[in-house]
Amino acid sequence: MNTSTVSQAKPKAARWRGDEASGWLFALPHLILFATFVLGPVVYGFYISLHRWHVLSNSHPLVGFSNYSAALSDDIFWIALRNTIYFVLLVVPLGNLVSLSLALGLSSIKRFKTFYTVAFYLPVVISIAVVAVLWRWLYNTEIGLLNMYLSATVNGLRGLGLPLAAYQPIPWLSNPSWVMPSIALMSVWWGAGGNMVLYLAGLNNIPDDYYEAALIDGANPWQRFRNVTWPLLKPTTLFCLVFSVLGAFQIFGQTYVLFAPGSGPARSGLTLALYMYQQGFSQYEIGYGAAIAYLLFAIVLILTVIQFQLLAGSERAARRTAKAKA
Amino acid sequence: MKIFRRTQWWLHLPMIVMALLFLAPLGWMLSTAFKSPDDIIKGLGALRWWPNPVTTENFTGVLSKIEEFPVWQWTGNSVFISLAATALVLTVDSLAAFAYSRLQWRARDRVFSILVATMLVPGQVLLIPSYLLIRNLGLFDTYGALIFPAGAGAFGVFLLRQFFMTIPVELEEAARLDGCGPMGVFRNVILPLSKPALATLGIFTFMGTWNAFEGPLIFTDSLSMRTLPIGITIFQGRYNTEYGPMLAAATLAAIPVVIAFILFQKQIIKGISLTGLAGR
Repeated sequence: MNTSTVSQAKPKAARWRGDEASGWLFALPHLILFATFVLGPVVYGFYISLHRWHVLSNSHPLVGFSNYSAALSDDIFWIALRNTIYFVLLVVPLGNLVSLSLALGLSSIKRFKTFYTVAFYLPVVISIAVVAVLWRWLYNTEIGLLNMYLSATVNGLRGLGLPLAAYQPIPWLSNPSWVMPSIALMSVWWGAGGNMVLYLAGLNNIPDDYYEAALIDGANPWQRFRNVTWPLLKPTTLFCLVFSVLGAFQIFGQTYVLFAPGSGPARSGLTLALYMYQQGFSQYEIGYGAAIAYLLFAIVLILTVIQFQLLAGSERAARRTAKAKA
Repeated sequence: MKIFRRTQWWLHLPMIVMALLFLAPLGWMLSTAFKSPDDIIKGLGALRWWPNPVTTENFTGVLSKIEEFPVWQWTGNSVFISLAATALVLTVDSLAAFAYSRLQWRARDRVFSILVATMLVPGQVLLIPSYLLIRNLGLFDTYGALIFPAGAGAFGVFLLRQFFMTIPVELEEAARLDGCGPMGVFRNVILPLSKPALATLGIFTFMGTWNAFEGPLIFTDSLSMRTLPIGITIFQGRYNTEYGPMLAAATLAAIPVVIAFILFQKQIIKGISLTGLAGR
């Protein structure tokens, strides 16, 4: 879905008298809700971020951008930003790799597709509260399923005479350096099915002719993937990447529930959204909280613009190559 | 024919392994929920999946502390809010999508591009201002605080507009010549032909509202206004290390969406590509 071309596309329809008024009328119910709960808050939130604003106090003086400069010199803000970026860097590549691999697998088999699709998509429909409660149990250092199986595997291999050290249980959620990888693994399990369906739709949109042409040229499966699938799937890939990054930057529920509602050992699970929540709804400093939210917005916006430009650039390049080949 | 010339039976091997890995956590959740406290510890060393004995004590335990954990109230809240939000979204979004795809009005494309642009705004930017707004509107800690914001997003309008645009203009022209106004075209031509798209949006909205986390956390306050996902965290706060009851509660919250998904999975998976959500 390329939003820039979509919004420019003008559906053609006959022009009828009275459409001017009914256009507004039909759009109105949604527009009222949209203006109240989306557009209004976007503007109002920026206004709040320019004030020293405590929920319980009656006066909230205008302080300009000092909430922003306070955030930028706040060590905890930088911890939250670093943790968030670390999470994004872990979950976006890994998640998309898993989603694409599953989609490629699904598109290459005939039977039991429904079973596999349901299995991979099932976690997507479950609430993050349930997911986090469940994984906190799986991640239990002493009696969690993951360490149990890993230790059984290592012991089994030792039994076969492999020179392995005795298994040390992984402190999934109690050691700061394991916290983000653990959250990322859980998030991949939770979300991979969503992008998988998008990749699958993208794969199905590639016409068979291209593969047949490649086959005639004597291309092997890897070459067919490299020269047909990968370039033609690029719009889907970039769409998935853009929205994965957008979603990953907003990580909140995972750490909120896992560390109910703290931020993990040594703040290792503190993310930007969680820090905004703590400032806004635990400390009631909503001016400062709103400033953090807008910094998050700015980062995400810059990254999205960069990614859309990459998308446009790669489409141009793909068209050039296609032309050159023809 | 895709990457491979024939279907590759050996691919079922990695696919089965992956499917089992994806299903295992849910299986373990069910298994733990039906185990006795003793069995949870004892069964672990042997990695026993089948509870011995199978017990429903965790579920009855969860459901017996109604004072502290009004599970039925939370379930009722989740059901009502999700149904109401779905009805609201389907109504306002289909009307709006009709205006943006089928009617000619001067500000149309400019208004629509504002809608699309806001789809890139992170939800968290809206939380603090919406919280103040909801307080000032007197909606705080009411169902309205969770229902109305759900109907404000641009996603559904975008999705339905994409679908409405694929309906041939000729059908609309015929209806107009028969004397239908915009409302007549909407009701007699567009809506009946858009059932798959409406069903998809309806299912997405229902599941999205059912699982919503940040809104119910921030816009409600009293125990009786909470939804199931927030109820789970309240439960966890109290039964931090009692995994049996906790996973029984998690199972109760997960079952309705899991059943809804399995019933409608064809519709959901098809709907995603059908409505042009995929990389186009």
